[in-house]
Amino acid sequence: MGVIITIDEMIDRTADLPVIPAVALRIMHEADSNTASASQIAMLLARDPALASRVLRLANSAYYGLSGQVFGLKEAVVVLGLRCVKNLALVAVSYPWLSKPLHGYGLDPKDLWMHSHGTAVAAMLAAQRSGRLRDDEAFTAGLLHDIGKLAMNVWLERKTEALIQLSSLNGWSFVECERTVLGYDHGQVGGRIAERWNLPLSVIDSARYHHEPDARPDPSLVVDAVHLGDYLASALGFGMGADGLQYALQPNTLVRLGLHPQDIDRIADDLERERRLQAESFEEIVA
Amino acid sequence: METFGVGMSEIVVRKGAAKYLCLGLGSCIGVAIYDPRADVSGMIHVMLPAAFPDRPVDQIGKFADTGIPALLMAMEKMGANKRNMKVAIAGGAQVFKFNNTGTNQLDIGRRNGEAVIEQLTKAGLKILAKDIGGTHGRTVTFTVPDGQVEVKTLSQGVSELCNLADNRERSAA
Repeated sequence: MGVIITIDEMIDRTADLPVIPAVALRIMHEADSNTASASQIAMLLARDPALASRVLRLANSAYYGLSGQVFGLKEAVVVLGLRCVKNLALVAVSYPWLSKPLHGYGLDPKDLWMHSHGTAVAAMLAAQRSGRLRDDEAFTAGLLHDIGKLAMNVWLERKTEALIQLSSLNGWSFVECERTVLGYDHGQVGGRIAERWNLPLSVIDSARYHHEPDARPDPSLVVDAVHLGDYLASALGFGMGADGLQYALQPNTLVRLGLHPQDIDRIADDLERERRLQAESFEEIVA
Repeated sequence: METFGVGMSEIVVRKGAAKYLCLGLGSCIGVAIYDPRADVSGMIHVMLPAAFPDRPVDQIGKFADTGIPALLMAMEKMGANKRNMKVAIAGGAQVFKFNNTGTNQLDIGRRNGEAVIEQLTKAGLKILAKDIGGTHGRTVTFTVPDGQVEVKTLSQGVSELCNLADNRERSAA
Protein backbone atom coordinates (compact mmCIF):
# COMPACT_ATOMS: atom_id res chain seq x y z
CA MET A 1 0.00 0.00 0.00
CA GLY A 2 3.02 2.20 0.49
CA VAL A 3 3.46 5.71 1.82
CA ILE A 4 0.83 8.14 0.63
CA ILE A 5 2.13 11.22 2.45
CA THR A 6 5.18 11.75 4.61
CA ILE A 7 5.01 11.80 8.40
CA ASP A 8 5.57 15.57 8.42
CA GLU A 9 2.82 16.17 5.87
CA MET A 10 0.50 13.97 7.89
CA ILE A 11 1.25 15.86 11.11
CA ASP A 12 0.76 19.20 9.30
CA ARG A 13 -2.57 18.09 7.91
CA THR A 14 -3.92 16.77 11.22
CA ALA A 15 -6.41 19.21 12.68
CA ASP A 16 -6.70 19.75 16.45
CA LEU A 17 -3.24 18.48 17.34
CA PRO A 18 -2.40 19.86 20.79
CA VAL A 19 0.41 22.29 21.35
CA ILE A 20 2.63 22.00 24.37
CA PRO A 21 2.53 25.26 26.37
CA ALA A 22 5.84 27.14 26.31
CA VAL A 23 6.06 27.24 30.10
CA ALA A 24 5.69 23.46 30.42
CA LEU A 25 8.40 22.95 27.82
CA ARG A 26 10.77 25.36 29.60
CA ILE A 27 10.13 23.58 32.90
CA MET A 28 10.91 20.19 31.33
CA HIS A 29 14.27 21.39 30.05
CA GLU A 30 15.06 23.38 33.17
CA ALA A 31 14.34 20.41 35.47
CA ASP A 32 16.69 18.26 33.39
CA SER A 33 19.55 20.76 33.52
CA ASN A 34 22.29 20.70 36.11
CA THR A 35 21.71 24.29 37.10
CA ALA A 36 18.01 24.03 37.92
CA SER A 37 16.85 25.76 41.09
CA ALA A 38 13.56 25.85 42.96
CA SER A 39 13.17 29.59 42.44
CA GLN A 40 13.74 29.30 38.68
CA ILE A 41 11.07 26.62 38.33
CA ALA A 42 8.68 28.64 40.52
CA MET A 43 9.34 31.76 38.45
CA LEU A 44 8.66 29.90 35.21
CA LEU A 45 5.44 28.44 36.58
CA ALA A 46 4.25 31.86 37.73
CA ARG A 47 4.18 32.96 34.08
CA ASP A 48 1.24 30.63 33.48
CA PRO A 49 -1.16 31.35 36.36
CA ALA A 50 -3.76 28.75 35.29
CA LEU A 51 -1.10 26.04 35.18
CA ALA A 52 0.51 27.28 38.39
CA SER A 53 -2.76 27.08 40.30
CA ARG A 54 -3.40 23.52 39.13
CA VAL A 55 0.14 22.50 40.10
CA LEU A 56 -0.41 23.99 43.57
CA ARG A 57 -3.65 22.10 43.98
CA LEU A 58 -1.92 18.88 42.88
CA ALA A 59 0.85 19.51 45.41
CA ASN A 60 -1.82 19.91 48.09
CA SER A 61 -3.79 16.82 46.99
CA ALA A 62 -4.34 13.86 49.29
CA TYR A 63 -1.72 11.83 47.38
CA TYR A 64 1.16 13.75 48.97
CA GLY A 65 -0.42 13.96 52.40
CA LEU A 66 0.45 17.66 52.71
CA SER A 67 -3.12 18.87 52.31
CA GLY A 68 -3.35 22.61 52.57
CA GLN A 69 0.21 23.03 53.80
CA VAL A 70 1.83 24.08 50.51
CA PHE A 71 1.05 27.76 50.04
CA GLY A 72 3.40 28.99 47.36
CA LEU A 73 4.99 27.76 44.15
CA LYS A 74 8.51 27.90 45.47
CA GLU A 75 7.45 26.00 48.56
CA ALA A 76 5.86 23.33 46.35
CA VAL A 77 9.12 22.95 44.43
CA VAL A 78 11.20 22.81 47.63
CA VAL A 79 8.92 20.32 49.39
CA LEU A 80 8.18 17.99 46.47
CA GLY A 81 11.33 18.50 44.43
CA LEU A 82 11.58 20.25 41.09
CA ARG A 83 11.40 17.05 39.07
CA CYS A 84 8.20 16.06 40.80
CA VAL A 85 6.72 19.51 40.13
CA LYS A 86 7.77 19.17 36.48
CA ASN A 87 5.72 15.99 36.22
CA LEU A 88 2.74 17.56 37.99
CA ALA A 89 2.83 20.37 35.43
CA LEU A 90 2.94 17.77 32.63
CA VAL A 91 0.01 15.86 34.12
CA ALA A 92 -1.99 19.11 34.21
CA VAL A 93 -0.99 20.03 30.65
CA SER A 94 -1.50 16.64 29.00
CA TYR A 95 -4.71 15.52 30.70
CA PRO A 96 -7.04 17.46 28.37
CA TRP A 97 -5.52 15.94 25.21
CA LEU A 98 -5.10 12.45 26.63
CA SER A 99 -8.67 12.27 27.92
CA LYS A 100 -10.28 12.80 24.51
CA PRO A 101 -11.75 9.76 22.75
CA LEU A 102 -9.70 8.34 19.85
CA HIS A 103 -12.12 6.39 17.69
CA GLY A 104 -9.38 5.23 15.31
CA TYR A 105 -7.95 3.24 18.20
CA GLY A 106 -11.28 2.26 19.73
CA LEU A 107 -10.49 4.44 22.77
CA ASP A 108 -13.34 5.98 24.77
CA PRO A 109 -12.94 9.28 26.65
CA LYS A 110 -10.22 8.98 29.33
CA ASP A 111 -8.93 5.64 27.99
CA LEU A 112 -5.70 7.07 26.57
CA TRP A 113 -5.20 9.05 29.80
CA MET A 114 -5.61 5.88 31.87
CA HIS A 115 -3.20 4.02 29.65
CA SER A 116 -0.61 6.84 29.49
CA HIS A 117 -0.76 7.55 33.20
CA GLY A 118 -0.57 3.81 33.96
CA THR A 119 2.48 3.54 31.69
CA ALA A 120 4.08 6.57 33.38
CA VAL A 121 3.61 5.12 36.88
CA ALA A 122 4.79 1.65 35.77
CA ALA A 123 7.88 3.09 34.04
CA MET A 124 8.64 5.11 37.19
CA LEU A 125 8.32 1.99 39.37
CA ALA A 126 10.50 -0.03 36.96
CA ALA A 127 13.12 2.75 37.15
CA GLN A 128 13.00 2.76 40.95
CA ARG A 129 13.41 -1.00 41.09
CA SER A 130 16.21 -0.89 38.53
CA GLY A 131 18.10 1.94 40.23
CA ARG A 132 19.93 2.57 36.92
CA LEU A 133 17.96 5.62 35.74
CA ARG A 134 15.98 8.60 37.03
CA ASP A 135 12.42 7.65 37.91
CA ASP A 136 11.00 11.11 37.08
CA GLU A 137 12.43 10.87 33.56
CA ALA A 138 10.75 7.49 33.11
CA PHE A 139 7.43 8.99 34.33
CA THR A 140 7.64 11.92 31.89
CA ALA A 141 8.50 9.70 28.93
CA GLY A 142 5.81 7.20 29.90
CA LEU A 143 3.14 9.88 30.10
CA LEU A 144 3.88 11.09 26.57
CA HIS A 145 4.82 7.80 24.87
CA ASP A 146 1.62 7.52 22.81
CA ILE A 147 1.36 11.12 21.52
CA GLY A 148 1.68 9.67 18.01
CA LYS A 149 -1.81 8.23 18.42
CA LEU A 150 -3.23 11.77 18.70
CA ALA A 151 -2.21 12.36 15.09
CA MET A 152 -2.66 8.83 13.70
CA ASN A 153 -6.21 8.63 15.07
CA VAL A 154 -8.08 10.49 12.32
CA TRP A 155 -6.12 8.70 9.59
CA LEU A 156 -7.09 5.32 11.05
CA GLU A 157 -10.73 6.07 11.73
CA ARG A 158 -12.23 4.05 8.91
CA LYS A 159 -9.41 1.51 8.85
CA THR A 160 -9.50 0.13 12.39
CA GLU A 161 -11.48 -2.99 11.46
CA ALA A 162 -9.08 -3.74 8.60
CA LEU A 163 -6.10 -3.41 10.93
CA ILE A 164 -7.59 -5.81 13.46
CA GLN A 165 -8.26 -8.28 10.62
CA LEU A 166 -4.72 -7.89 9.27
CA SER A 167 -3.32 -8.51 12.70
CA SER A 168 -5.30 -11.67 13.35
CA LEU A 169 -4.89 -13.10 9.82
CA ASN A 170 -1.15 -12.54 9.54
CA GLY A 171 -0.07 -12.72 13.14
CA TRP A 172 1.28 -9.17 12.94
CA SER A 173 1.65 -6.77 15.80
CA PHE A 174 -0.46 -3.60 15.62
CA VAL A 175 2.57 -1.46 14.70
CA GLU A 176 3.31 -3.77 11.75
CA CYS A 177 -0.30 -3.31 10.62
CA GLU A 178 -0.06 0.48 10.95
CA ARG A 179 3.09 0.48 8.81
CA THR A 180 1.43 -1.67 6.16
CA VAL A 181 -1.71 0.45 5.94
CA LEU A 182 -0.34 3.98 6.48
CA GLY A 183 3.38 3.58 5.81
CA TYR A 184 4.40 4.38 9.37
CA ASP A 185 3.39 3.56 12.93
CA HIS A 186 2.30 5.65 15.93
CA GLY A 187 5.78 5.38 17.43
CA GLN A 188 7.47 6.98 14.42
CA VAL A 189 4.80 9.68 14.28
CA GLY A 190 5.02 10.31 18.04
CA GLY A 191 8.81 10.58 17.83
CA ARG A 192 8.49 13.20 15.09
CA ILE A 193 5.86 15.19 17.03
CA ALA A 194 8.12 15.10 20.11
CA GLU A 195 11.03 16.37 17.97
CA ARG A 196 8.95 19.16 16.51
CA TRP A 197 7.83 20.15 20.01
CA ASN A 198 11.49 20.22 21.05
CA LEU A 199 10.86 17.75 23.91
CA PRO A 200 13.83 16.16 25.72
CA LEU A 201 15.62 13.36 23.85
CA SER A 202 14.42 10.65 26.25
CA VAL A 203 10.80 11.61 25.48
CA ILE A 204 11.43 11.63 21.72
CA ASP A 205 13.12 8.23 21.89
CA SER A 206 10.45 6.71 24.11
CA ALA A 207 7.68 7.86 21.79
CA ARG A 208 9.58 6.48 18.78
CA TYR A 209 10.95 3.20 20.12
CA HIS A 210 8.56 2.15 22.89
CA HIS A 211 7.38 -0.88 20.93
CA GLU A 212 10.83 -1.89 19.79
CA PRO A 213 13.51 -0.65 22.18
CA ASP A 214 15.99 -3.15 20.71
CA ALA A 215 15.79 -1.25 17.39
CA ARG A 216 17.34 1.89 18.87
CA PRO A 217 20.98 1.90 17.71
CA ASP A 218 22.16 2.73 21.22
CA PRO A 219 19.83 1.26 23.88
CA SER A 220 18.24 3.74 26.26
CA LEU A 221 17.18 2.75 29.77
CA VAL A 222 14.32 5.27 29.72
CA VAL A 223 12.94 3.66 26.55
CA ASP A 224 13.36 0.24 28.19
CA ALA A 225 11.43 1.37 31.29
CA VAL A 226 8.66 2.85 29.11
CA HIS A 227 8.46 -0.35 27.05
CA LEU A 228 8.01 -2.38 30.21
CA GLY A 229 5.56 0.17 31.63
CA ASP A 230 3.53 0.10 28.42
CA TYR A 231 3.47 -3.70 28.55
CA LEU A 232 2.22 -3.74 32.14
CA ALA A 233 -0.37 -0.98 31.65
CA SER A 234 -1.68 -2.81 28.57
CA ALA A 235 -1.68 -6.25 30.18
CA LEU A 236 -3.57 -4.91 33.20
CA GLY A 237 -6.16 -3.40 30.89
CA PHE A 238 -5.62 0.29 31.71
CA GLY A 239 -7.51 2.03 28.90
CA MET A 240 -7.47 -0.82 26.45
CA GLY A 241 -8.30 0.02 22.84
CA ALA A 242 -8.71 -1.78 19.52
CA ASP A 243 -4.99 -2.57 19.46
CA GLY A 244 -5.48 -4.54 22.69
CA LEU A 245 -2.42 -6.59 23.50
CA GLN A 246 -1.30 -6.93 19.88
CA TYR A 247 2.27 -5.97 20.61
CA ALA A 248 5.54 -7.75 21.17
CA LEU A 249 7.45 -7.77 24.43
CA GLN A 250 11.23 -7.43 24.16
CA PRO A 251 12.65 -9.15 27.25
CA ASN A 252 16.14 -7.67 26.69
CA THR A 253 14.74 -4.54 28.30
CA LEU A 254 14.62 -6.39 31.63
CA VAL A 255 18.23 -7.48 31.29
CA ARG A 256 19.40 -3.92 30.54
CA LEU A 257 17.42 -2.58 33.50
CA GLY A 258 18.91 -5.27 35.75
CA LEU A 259 15.45 -6.62 36.57
CA HIS A 260 14.40 -10.24 37.00
CA PRO A 261 11.19 -11.73 35.58
CA GLN A 262 10.04 -12.15 39.20
CA ASP A 263 10.13 -8.35 39.60
CA ILE A 264 7.23 -8.01 37.16
CA ASP A 265 4.56 -9.13 39.64
CA ARG A 266 5.92 -6.80 42.31
CA ILE A 267 5.91 -3.84 39.94
CA ALA A 268 2.34 -4.77 38.90
CA ASP A 269 1.27 -4.92 42.57
CA ASP A 270 2.71 -1.44 43.23
CA LEU A 271 1.34 -0.12 39.94
CA GLU A 272 -2.25 -1.00 40.80
CA ARG A 273 -2.00 0.89 44.10
CA GLU A 274 0.05 3.93 42.96
CA ARG A 275 -1.99 4.53 39.82
CA ARG A 276 -5.26 4.29 41.73
CA LEU A 277 -4.12 6.64 44.50
CA GLN A 278 -2.74 9.20 42.04
CA ALA A 279 -5.81 9.02 39.81
CA GLU A 280 -8.15 9.48 42.79
CA SER A 281 -6.20 12.54 43.95
CA PHE A 282 -5.27 14.10 40.61
CA GLU A 283 -8.17 13.61 38.23
CA GLU A 284 -10.70 15.97 39.76
CA ILE A 285 -8.05 18.71 39.82
CA VAL A 286 -6.86 18.40 36.22
CA ALA A 287 -10.22 17.50 34.65
CA MET B 1 -31.70 -4.53 38.87
CA GLU B 2 -28.67 -2.94 40.42
CA THR B 3 -25.38 -3.12 38.45
CA PHE B 4 -22.17 -3.68 40.35
CA GLY B 5 -18.88 -2.78 38.71
CA VAL B 6 -16.19 -5.21 39.78
CA GLY B 7 -12.99 -3.17 39.54
CA MET B 8 -9.48 -4.53 39.61
CA SER B 9 -8.85 -6.49 42.84
CA GLU B 10 -12.47 -6.16 43.96
CA ILE B 11 -14.79 -8.83 45.32
CA VAL B 12 -18.56 -8.33 45.17
CA VAL B 13 -21.06 -10.76 46.73
CA ARG B 14 -24.87 -10.42 46.65
CA LYS B 15 -27.99 -12.28 47.67
CA GLY B 16 -30.82 -11.96 45.17
CA ALA B 17 -30.97 -10.27 41.79
CA ALA B 18 -27.84 -8.47 40.61
CA LYS B 19 -25.87 -7.59 37.53
CA TYR B 20 -22.07 -7.67 37.65
CA LEU B 21 -19.79 -5.88 35.23
CA CYS B 22 -16.09 -6.65 34.92
CA LEU B 23 -14.67 -4.09 32.47
CA GLY B 24 -11.53 -4.26 30.34
CA LEU B 25 -9.94 -7.52 31.41
CA GLY B 26 -6.48 -7.98 29.91
CA SER B 27 -4.28 -10.41 31.80
CA CYS B 28 -6.67 -10.18 34.77
CA ILE B 29 -9.38 -12.79 35.26
CA GLY B 30 -13.03 -12.35 36.11
CA VAL B 31 -14.50 -15.24 38.11
CA ALA B 32 -18.31 -15.48 38.32
CA ILE B 33 -19.89 -17.87 40.83
CA TYR B 34 -23.56 -18.64 41.47
CA ASP B 35 -25.39 -20.86 43.92
CA PRO B 36 -28.90 -20.90 42.41
CA ARG B 37 -30.41 -22.73 45.40
CA ALA B 38 -29.32 -20.12 47.92
CA ASP B 39 -29.63 -17.38 45.28
CA VAL B 40 -26.20 -16.09 46.31
CA SER B 41 -23.72 -14.91 43.70
CA GLY B 42 -20.32 -13.32 43.59
CA MET B 43 -17.60 -12.06 41.33
CA ILE B 44 -13.90 -11.26 41.66
CA HIS B 45 -11.45 -9.42 39.35
CA VAL B 46 -8.12 -11.15 40.00
CA MET B 47 -4.94 -9.33 39.01
CA LEU B 48 -2.01 -11.57 40.00
CA PRO B 49 -1.54 -15.28 40.74
CA ALA B 50 -0.18 -15.14 44.28
CA ALA B 51 0.38 -12.78 47.20
CA PHE B 52 4.01 -12.09 48.20
CA PRO B 53 5.21 -13.77 51.41
CA ASP B 54 7.22 -10.67 52.38
CA ARG B 55 4.59 -7.99 51.64
CA PRO B 56 1.31 -7.06 53.28
CA VAL B 57 -1.76 -7.75 51.13
CA ASP B 58 -3.42 -4.36 50.55
CA GLN B 59 -6.41 -5.80 48.70
CA ILE B 60 -7.33 -9.40 49.30
CA GLY B 61 -9.04 -9.68 45.91
CA LYS B 62 -5.87 -8.77 44.06
CA PHE B 63 -4.38 -12.27 44.15
CA ALA B 64 -5.88 -15.61 43.11
CA ASP B 65 -4.56 -17.39 46.21
CA THR B 66 -6.08 -14.91 48.67
CA GLY B 67 -9.04 -13.65 46.66
CA ILE B 68 -10.77 -16.86 45.63
CA PRO B 69 -10.89 -18.35 49.16
CA ALA B 70 -12.16 -14.95 50.39
CA LEU B 71 -14.88 -14.85 47.74
CA LEU B 72 -16.03 -18.38 48.58
CA MET B 73 -16.06 -17.63 52.30
CA ALA B 74 -18.10 -14.46 51.77
CA MET B 75 -20.60 -16.39 49.67
CA GLU B 76 -20.85 -19.15 52.26
CA LYS B 77 -21.51 -16.56 54.97
CA MET B 78 -24.52 -15.45 52.93
CA GLY B 79 -25.83 -18.98 52.82
CA ALA B 80 -24.25 -20.41 49.68
CA ASN B 81 -22.96 -23.96 49.60
CA LYS B 82 -19.90 -25.01 47.61
CA ARG B 83 -21.74 -28.12 46.41
CA ASN B 84 -24.26 -25.97 44.57
CA MET B 85 -21.86 -23.36 43.21
CA LYS B 86 -21.42 -23.01 39.46
CA VAL B 87 -18.35 -21.19 38.12
CA ALA B 88 -17.35 -19.38 34.93
CA ILE B 89 -14.02 -17.64 34.27
CA ALA B 90 -12.84 -15.24 31.56
CA GLY B 91 -9.73 -13.14 30.89
CA GLY B 92 -6.07 -14.06 31.20
CA ALA B 93 -5.02 -12.59 27.85
CA GLN B 94 -1.36 -12.20 27.03
CA VAL B 95 0.75 -9.95 24.85
CA PHE B 96 0.87 -11.03 21.29
CA LYS B 97 4.47 -12.15 20.99
CA PHE B 98 7.32 -12.92 23.27
CA ASN B 99 10.50 -12.38 21.33
CA ASN B 100 12.58 -14.75 23.44
CA THR B 101 11.98 -18.05 25.08
CA GLY B 102 12.28 -18.55 28.82
CA THR B 103 10.05 -15.59 29.66
CA ASN B 104 7.05 -17.51 30.96
CA GLN B 105 7.19 -15.53 34.18
CA LEU B 106 6.34 -12.40 32.16
CA ASP B 107 3.13 -13.96 30.87
CA ILE B 108 0.88 -12.77 33.68
CA GLY B 109 -2.30 -13.77 31.83
CA ARG B 110 -1.38 -17.43 31.47
CA ARG B 111 -0.12 -17.64 35.05
CA ASN B 112 -3.32 -16.00 36.31
CA GLY B 113 -5.39 -18.60 34.45
CA GLU B 114 -3.42 -21.46 35.98
CA ALA B 115 -3.60 -19.98 39.50
CA VAL B 116 -7.36 -19.33 39.33
CA ILE B 117 -8.07 -22.86 38.07
CA GLU B 118 -5.81 -24.30 40.78
CA GLN B 119 -7.65 -22.39 43.53
CA LEU B 120 -11.09 -23.36 42.25
CA THR B 121 -10.06 -26.99 41.88
CA LYS B 122 -8.59 -26.99 45.37
CA ALA B 123 -11.93 -25.77 46.69
CA GLY B 124 -13.63 -28.66 44.90
CA LEU B 125 -15.46 -26.48 42.40
CA LYS B 126 -16.07 -27.44 38.81
CA ILE B 127 -15.65 -24.75 36.17
CA LEU B 128 -18.68 -24.83 33.90
CA ALA B 129 -17.14 -22.62 31.20
CA LYS B 130 -13.95 -20.73 30.59
CA ASP B 131 -12.83 -18.19 28.02
CA ILE B 132 -9.18 -17.51 28.79
CA GLY B 133 -5.97 -16.70 26.93
CA GLY B 134 -5.72 -15.04 23.53
CA THR B 135 -4.52 -11.50 22.93
CA HIS B 136 -7.77 -9.54 23.20
CA GLY B 137 -9.34 -7.63 26.04
CA ARG B 138 -12.68 -8.79 27.41
CA THR B 139 -15.61 -7.31 29.28
CA VAL B 140 -17.69 -9.79 31.28
CA THR B 141 -21.28 -9.37 32.45
CA PHE B 142 -22.97 -11.75 34.83
CA THR B 143 -26.63 -11.49 35.78
CA VAL B 144 -28.63 -13.30 38.41
CA PRO B 145 -31.10 -14.89 38.91
CA ASP B 146 -30.99 -15.81 35.20
CA GLY B 147 -27.33 -16.89 35.61
CA GLN B 148 -26.21 -15.59 32.24
CA VAL B 149 -22.48 -14.92 31.72
CA GLU B 150 -21.58 -12.92 28.62
CA VAL B 151 -18.19 -12.01 27.23
CA LYS B 152 -17.69 -9.00 24.98
CA THR B 153 -14.59 -8.54 22.83
CA LEU B 154 -13.86 -5.88 20.27
CA SER B 155 -13.46 -8.30 17.36
CA GLN B 156 -16.19 -10.82 18.27
CA GLY B 157 -18.82 -8.62 19.89
CA VAL B 158 -21.00 -10.08 22.66
CA SER B 159 -21.42 -13.81 23.10
CA GLU B 160 -22.95 -15.91 25.84
CA LEU B 161 -20.28 -17.93 27.64
CA CYS B 162 -22.64 -20.04 29.74
CA ASN B 163 -25.60 -20.00 32.05
CA LEU B 164 -24.81 -20.63 35.69
CA ALA B 165 -28.47 -21.10 36.65
CA ASP B 166 -29.21 -24.06 34.37
CA ASN B 167 -25.73 -25.47 33.61
CA ARG B 168 -25.99 -24.45 29.98
CA GLU B 169 -22.74 -23.86 28.17
CA ARG B 170 -23.05 -22.08 24.87
CA SER B 171 -19.51 -21.70 23.60
CA ALA B 172 -16.51 -24.01 23.60
CA ALA B 173 -14.42 -23.67 26.72
